[in-house]
Amino acid sequence: MKVMAGGAGEKWGGGLLLVVLGAAGLLGMFAGARARAQGGAAPRTSAAGSEEPKYLTPVELKFSPDGSRLYVVCEDDGSLLVVDAREEKVIGKVRVGEKPRGLAVSPDGRSIYVSNEWSDTVTDIDAEKLEARRTLTAGWGPVGVTTDGTGKTLYVANSIGNDVSVVDLDSGAEMKRLAAWRSPHYVTLSRDGLRVYVSNVLPHLGPYDEPPVSELTVIDTKRQSVAERVLIPGALELRHIAEGRDAEGSYLLVPLLRPKNQAPLIQVAQGWIVTHGMAVVRPGRGVAPEDKPSTVNQVLLDDVDSYYAGADGAAVTPDGRYALVSSAEANVVSVIDTAKLERRIWEVGAEELPNRLDSAQTFVVRRLETGFNPTAVAVAPDGRRAYVVNRLDDSLTVLDLARLEVEGKIDLGGPKEISVLRRGERLFHDASFCYQGQFACATCHPDNHIDGVSWNLETPQLGRDRVANRTLRGIAEKAPYKWNGRNPDLETQCGARIAKYLFYSQGFNHEQLEELVTYIKSIPLPRNRHLAPSGELTPAQERGKAIFFKKGCDACHTPETHYTNKLTEDVGTANKYDTSGLFATPQLERVYEKPPYLHSGEALTLEEIWTTHNPEDKHGVTSDMTKEQLNDLIEFLRTL
Amino acid sequence: MGTLGWRSWLVCAGLMAAAWTAAGQTPPLYTKWVNYTTANGMPDEKVLAVTVDGERVWAGTESGLVLIENGRITRVFTPADGLANRVVTGIAVDKETGDVWISTFGGVSQYSGGTFKNYTNLTSGLANDIVYGIAVQGENIWAATTAGISRMNKRTGEWMIVSERVAPMHEPWSYGIAVGDKKVYFAVWGGGVLEYDIAANYWKPYTKPDDEMEMVLFKNQGLTHIIVSGVAWNPDTKMFWASTYFGLSGYDGRNWHNYLAMDSGLASDFINAAKSRGDDVWSCTDKGLSYLNYKTNTWVTYRPDGKTGRGEALIIAPDKKTKKVETATSLAHNYTINLDFQGKDIWVATARGLSHGMRESNKEGKSNERTTNGN
Repeated sequence: MKVMAGGAGEKWGGGLLLVVLGAAGLLGMFAGARARAQGGAAPRTSAAGSEEPKYLTPVELKFSPDGSRLYVVCEDDGSLLVVDAREEKVIGKVRVGEKPRGLAVSPDGRSIYVSNEWSDTVTDIDAEKLEARRTLTAGWGPVGVTTDGTGKTLYVANSIGNDVSVVDLDSGAEMKRLAAWRSPHYVTLSRDGLRVYVSNVLPHLGPYDEPPVSELTVIDTKRQSVAERVLIPGALELRHIAEGRDAEGSYLLVPLLRPKNQAPLIQVAQGWIVTHGMAVVRPGRGVAPEDKPSTVNQVLLDDVDSYYAGADGAAVTPDGRYALVSSAEANVVSVIDTAKLERRIWEVGAEELPNRLDSAQTFVVRRLETGFNPTAVAVAPDGRRAYVVNRLDDSLTVLDLARLEVEGKIDLGGPKEISVLRRGERLFHDASFCYQGQFACATCHPDNHIDGVSWNLETPQLGRDRVANRTLRGIAEKAPYKWNGRNPDLETQCGARIAKYLFYSQGFNHEQLEELVTYIKSIPLPRNRHLAPSGELTPAQERGKAIFFKKGCDACHTPETHYTNKLTEDVGTANKYDTSGLFATPQLERVYEKPPYLHSGEALTLEEIWTTHNPEDKHGVTSDMTKEQLNDLIEFLRTL
Repeated sequence: MGTLGWRSWLVCAGLMAAAWTAAGQTPPLYTKWVNYTTANGMPDEKVLAVTVDGERVWAGTESGLVLIENGRITRVFTPADGLANRVVTGIAVDKETGDVWISTFGGVSQYSGGTFKNYTNLTSGLANDIVYGIAVQGENIWAATTAGISRMNKRTGEWMIVSERVAPMHEPWSYGIAVGDKKVYFAVWGGGVLEYDIAANYWKPYTKPDDEMEMVLFKNQGLTHIIVSGVAWNPDTKMFWASTYFGLSGYDGRNWHNYLAMDSGLASDFINAAKSRGDDVWSCTDKGLSYLNYKTNTWVTYRPDGKTGRGEALIIAPDKKTKKVETATSLAHNYTINLDFQGKDIWVATARGLSHGMRESNKEGKSNERTTNGN
């Protein structure tokens, strides 16, 4: 059902925000948060114990080759919706696996492939009958998916396994796995079919006190091997990949995040600490990187005093004139004049350009408001409209590309009631609470997880206490919080602390804080891929378990309380930046998903915790362990 | 008295012809050599490893990893490029993914898409950073180290260490690896050959039956010696060949075939590596490169003539008659270390460079330049 909203997205809590801002002024706090006009407050859900509405949570969309249909993957509903593009209404639904994320349509339009992140599978759907044909096995945590140009091979990015499955679609069997790095999510086939591009959300593991480096993995579809690993310095969270074409040939647009994580976070008050933009990549000519490597430029989509957090979806119009990039935490789609973008890249040197906050004004021609948490963007084959998935709105925003304005919305049919959890999740993805909209919770916790870097968080002494980002999955019962264990609960962690030391703004009011915390507490742990479904340990894991207890690891990592005693300990890991040697004992569940390790992120692998960072046996007496024993211990830790 | 029918005479003639042919036939000779040394781009004279991947030739030296394409050195990789260590001892190409796995004296490097990712004893489950050999077997990467054999599962990241603690190894110092049919073979210095049955998860050692370090008392009843420097699998004959410091051993699953310099055409008992395909068995010895046609028991040893700089191929027939063929070009050095095949060609790692050996078809089976016949 199309809703003619006249260009204004759904708003909420406006009256409440004014009160909050007023209070902020009285208290003399920073009031620099970008205020946005808000509509009436959404109704609360009923009391605890009532059933949570079953939201759709659309996350990805693609057109059928003839443009007549839009396919929309719904993460929470476990379904694929089929939308009639002309009528703009839902005409079909297919059940898929658990937590579907990615979507591909075969070149002939007869098959649709949906990746199921929690099932580790891909559902193969008959596009005519709208029925699931078969389930294909993928790697761990499949997200992005694409076929090759012939429709005979499927490429699946496995976000937890850090690899790409290459699947033969005739037999349905996986032929090989190609290494990606790290947490590959989005996959795009080049227009000429010669390459598959894979964007990785997490950066390479590297020194904790240096800027991050991320990778765009390039696969040669003829050889089905990795042809190039394009390094993108200073960036994180590479997202959807769009391919454009100009006189020079093809280029790629890859939305990303550029953190200044080495600078103390107090700098948020001056801006420029967390910036958002995209990489503009010219793919190399030859297959071998030695022939002519890809070139990378980066530009920011932010303005000097206003940021567009969560650069995510990307698409280019068929005529190549415009590119569209969604900002998932700013509820906006930026429309970019590609000719002006090219000029900007040409005018400013590659070294300086990634940090220039005056670029966007030269090539962004419109900022169009969307619904909550816009992710994927798709342009209709005729180029007349673009569609944006509003993940936390259960809707699509329709953009008129001739007029460059919002034409309306397509209601996908989710519940109208907005629950506490849903409001909390929206807050989690809302950067408007941060000074100048620089970042939201989700910005540094993509997929409720880590961003893979260390930050220089609040501290009386600037430049001290560089600490690794932590996951938010399964943390409900793991108080206290903060690297030094000083925050007794999430309300403290996400309330005053966030406002004062991270957002440099008023932050959340009491009601919002409660909703946010309710949401964070609901974030589950993913299934452990290293543990057999039966729970039975392998011999190596059993040996490791024995070592864990024999060495007394359980004294601090108590199994009964999620492998943390919830106290601070000095295990001899303080470094030159630390003001204290006491750190909160981290919980160990799904530890294999969370490198780097230690409070600082100095240990890039589990091994390094003991081989490099335990010279005095303060972190357990481990210097007497053989290498075999250490390997076994690590195998056991992976089962937690 | 009966006479032989015409068919029987035909068979006899055929057998005689075959015998004559076997005795007199010269195997295909490598008469043209092109060498790669520091004079034409190699980072080091000492070449420890060579692996062919189609048109690409990878060479491991004491000062880096070299890539040769179309006869040219196109890349030299050093630790400055991300290689784990400058001393490269082994190279294995993952045929599925195209990734190149490299064993070094500083751990294992994975070269993929133009970048290196390294695995060391401190940062991973690798047993030791001194790695002598590497192989790809399905999902697994095997590394032969001085502290045992390491195996990494590429998908799960799990590491396993095999040492004398968990397998019948005399000691953990492992040199080489060969992936066979459903089995993996390891060359263990002082421990013989260790065979791993993949499906059964079972280890089986092959050692010297007489337990003598200085003598061979039971020839062809086991390995010729337990100091094994390398092992190779021949997919055609289903045999593994072990190079030792005291001769060459081949095993077909039932019978052993051992060769010593004193009673064969082997140039020297000190063998750094062996390689085999079809009926060909190559031994990289310290006194030249020895070739054996396993079927006809014909040997050829290639070595440079230190005085003239030219090459020589010494052919030793089954009847012990010798013939020496001189060639204008030669192996880079008589101390040969490793070998790999590229079509009909061979690539040989030596102490003084990398040699590309080619057969010149117009000269095959014929003498080239000067030929001398020995007794």
